Amino acid sequence: MISYDYLASRLATSLAVTFGVSVVTYGLIFLTPGDPAEIILSQQLNRQPSAAEIEAFRAEHGLNDPVPVQYLHWLTDVFRGDLGSSYYSDTSVSTLIVEAVPLTLELALAAMLVALAISVPAGVVSAVHRGSPIDYASQLGALLGVSMPNFWLAYLLILLFPLKLGVLPVAGAGSFGHLVLPAITLGTGMAAVVTRLIRSSMLEVLDEAYVDTARAKGLRERIVVYKHALRNALVPVVTILGLQLGTLLNGAVVVEIIFQRPGLGSLLVDAVFERNYPVVQGVTLVTAIVFVATNLLVDLTYRYLDPRVQLGGETA
Amino acid sequence: MTEQPQDSALLSVENLHTRFRTSEGPVHAVEGVSMTVDEGEIVGLVGESGCGKSVTARSIVGLQDPGEVVRGSIHLDGMAVTDATDRQLRRLRGDTVSMVFQDPTETLNPVFDVGEQIAESLKVHDQLDSQSLLEYLHVPPFSSRSEWHEYRERAIELMAQVGIANPEDRVDAYPHELSGGQRQRAGIAIALASDPDLLIADEPTTALDVTTQAQLLERLRRHNAERGTAILLITHDLGVVADICDRVVVMYAGEVMETGPTERILEDPRHPYTKALLDCLPQRVDRGDRLATIEGSVPEPTGDRTGCPFAPRCDQATAACRDGEISTVDLGDGRGTVTCGESSTLEAHAARSGMAASDGAPEPGSATSGSAPGGGPDRSTPPLVELEGVSRRYSLANGPIERLLGTDDTLRAVDDVDLEIRAGETLALVGESGCGKSTLASLLTGLEAPTTGTVRIDGTPVGTAADRDADTLADIGVVFQDPRSSLNPRLTVEQAIGEPLRSSGWDRSRRRDRVRELLERVGLADRHATSYPHELSGGQVQRVAIARAIALEPSLVVLDEPVSALDASVQSRLLNVLADLQADLDLAYLFISHDLTVVEHIADRVAVMYLGELMEVGPADRVFDCPTHPYTRALLEAIPSLDPGGSTGTSLEGDRPSPVDPPSGCVFRNRCPMAEPKCAETDPDQRQLGPVRAKCHIAPD
Repeated sequence: MISYDYLASRLATSLAVTFGVSVVTYGLIFLTPGDPAEIILSQQLNRQPSAAEIEAFRAEHGLNDPVPVQYLHWLTDVFRGDLGSSYYSDTSVSTLIVEAVPLTLELALAAMLVALAISVPAGVVSAVHRGSPIDYASQLGALLGVSMPNFWLAYLLILLFPLKLGVLPVAGAGSFGHLVLPAITLGTGMAAVVTRLIRSSMLEVLDEAYVDTARAKGLRERIVVYKHALRNALVPVVTILGLQLGTLLNGAVVVEIIFQRPGLGSLLVDAVFERNYPVVQGVTLVTAIVFVATNLLVDLTYRYLDPRVQLGGETA
Repeated sequence: MTEQPQDSALLSVENLHTRFRTSEGPVHAVEGVSMTVDEGEIVGLVGESGCGKSVTARSIVGLQDPGEVVRGSIHLDGMAVTDATDRQLRRLRGDTVSMVFQDPTETLNPVFDVGEQIAESLKVHDQLDSQSLLEYLHVPPFSSRSEWHEYRERAIELMAQVGIANPEDRVDAYPHELSGGQRQRAGIAIALASDPDLLIADEPTTALDVTTQAQLLERLRRHNAERGTAILLITHDLGVVADICDRVVVMYAGEVMETGPTERILEDPRHPYTKALLDCLPQRVDRGDRLATIEGSVPEPTGDRTGCPFAPRCDQATAACRDGEISTVDLGDGRGTVTCGESSTLEAHAARSGMAASDGAPEPGSATSGSAPGGGPDRSTPPLVELEGVSRRYSLANGPIERLLGTDDTLRAVDDVDLEIRAGETLALVGESGCGKSTLASLLTGLEAPTTGTVRIDGTPVGTAADRDADTLADIGVVFQDPRSSLNPRLTVEQAIGEPLRSSGWDRSRRRDRVRELLERVGLADRHATSYPHELSGGQVQRVAIARAIALEPSLVVLDEPVSALDASVQSRLLNVLADLQADLDLAYLFISHDLTVVEHIADRVAVMYLGELMEVGPADRVFDCPTHPYTRALLEAIPSLDPGGSTGTSLEGDRPSPVDPPSGCVFRNRCPMAEPKCAETDPDQRQLGPVRAKCHIAPD
């Protein structure tokens, strides 16, 4: 049982964090140089817009109000479920986001799977055979994975698979094949971090007395390791997985651009370059909510992994 | 090396050497141990910590890793453990030998419920060679739900057998939801699940209360009698050995010093180490007399020693002992063996004349009463500390919403306690773990505020530590249970002891002198001033904690289980230091302990606590010789006695009730062997019965 107090307080903090994120992005947008009216109009009209045209655009989108007032307008709209619409196409921001989210989610989940598929066996084997060649190999691999920038890995993969071997598409989205290279690109960096984490966590757990109790029962070493030790070793790993989601969404921006995948990342980057403020705000807000919600979920998962965890003073 | 031993002992260990490789060179933990355990026998393996008992035991089940057996052989039921393949080892562990480990808080897996852990052990025993990972992970198509369910049912039976109350309920409990005693019972259930021929129990009761210990030892004894399971019991407590062992093996520094039937070892020990060990026990010394000690410390197990490892600490050692080859002599008539170079120890002598009566200790019995700690309380002056109607309750609600919903439970840690401590006396506070002893101490020192009631120091009501003035704070020193965690690991001994001095404004040079003086008082050398806690032994660290507690010349020192983590010989030296300090500085002690043999030795008065309430308060002589309250009596019965064959047991059954939901009427009545109907109806008042105050309806006037 999770206490109501705990949930209530966690929801309150989550709201506060999300609110903070929206304030900060709003502020940052207005600190960036360049007038959206000028940039957007010159693109749309293909010439330098006149002062009257700029004034009309600013009036239409409420850009003449003081920034706090603009923010308040935006915020009240958000509470009404309206994220505004793009300066360019008049498509509502919600529609743009709803189109982009599944693609990014798909990428993030696939990357997470790649990361776990690599890191769990590598971390465990590394810990069990501590100091052996296989341990050094996995640690070296982890070091490479952490140090390698993902854009570079992406180009290497593109060079190797579509260009040299002629398998898998270079860019775009839509099929399973389109997902493979972006997921590997995004997943390896995370795999490297998590491998090291699982290794150190496993090393600690393998020294615990209950591991010897399991061995003394006559259990096979494989069951001792993968049942008794791994479950305990995963507890700290799950927290990091939640936090890694931030890195993952961050990486998704780069990966989506390189592989020309539509998604939250490319939507956001395009919007920033175009000074398309409502889209920037909307995407940031949604990303913040996803991040905060995932971490809340992670904390709740603890309870399942480790029954000793007391959520917010709950008594066992 | 691996030839079959001649006799058909269940376990035979021959010349075992187990070594650990460390960065500071090899550690020779076990150096040539030979011993046997016959079928159905209970053998005690005793010795101080670090003597290689546990490593020997772990080597027997092949769990010596990261150490390695470098020489010698172990035969278990005819199979050579040292040469066994993984599969053979698994068979031995799942069928022939089981192990119960020391600390039940660490030996049960925290993320699986106890039912699962016991069921697993049952399943392993039934299907030794077909263990599939997916089956044990309960992955549906590979693992049968009904089969696991059956094992769980059998686990419940086993839990009932080892004395876990409400096993149907507790089977789903996670280890952290169980009490220490229940956890160790679950540990024993895991071990017994394979119906082993040999059960190795490594300090199985050391972390438990004396009453729980008595119950568990009784279980083991019964299992041995009914199923013929042989038991190798590793312990540092000779009382436990006397209680249930048929035979004893005494180890020191990785070697066997003496073996023999329990009775012979306790009544006629031959080896100087065995004698010294027995003489350190508070039970063996009259109340108030000085305890014998063993000077020096256990040698480093570096492997370059010659002769007898005990020679440097033995007052009968000769040159031959230090250099020569020490042979093991069979005493004949089944009286065991002694490994000692000094031939005089081999002659029978009933009186233990050659005891290590070092430390200037008078012989037991010849001591004058003047050496009693503190010389007894002074009753003419007002009490130093007075607790009046003091209670401490904790709310268990999770927050305002649950409080509103009325799901608020209260834990009564301390309930309506009246107690006084007079200048210069030692008041011992005893009771099982969780009875509120430490909370009471925190109320007294001001670390906690009482929910109701008043704490007075020198007649003046005081608040918490934050509200007390410097003089009042300086008046009470505290020594906590675990000295390693109560001293900052990054401060040197000098800084740690000097801390209270510094905060009361002593300058550097005065501090320096005072620290030197304090070190001398607690028996440490000047050179220790610059050491860090991790460089000191357990006994030395506790001395530092004591020095810190007396730095500001308090009139009362609160000692919370100050010696319970220490070996007998170290414990006796520390108790002597405490007695000296009390005599020299006129200190009063509040001595919190669950070890009644130590309490009997050191206390002037005793207060017995149960479930937050005081059950009995009175002079130590009276309480120990003629206890008034049934609970006190039960506690005293549970102390393992050193008389071989003198069976101890306890009339206490079951676990203590939860302090959240105490029984109606008298809190002790559901475990009280004498309870009457009225005990459930009304809560008894404190009654003055001669020198004793007791809280009981039925205690005789």
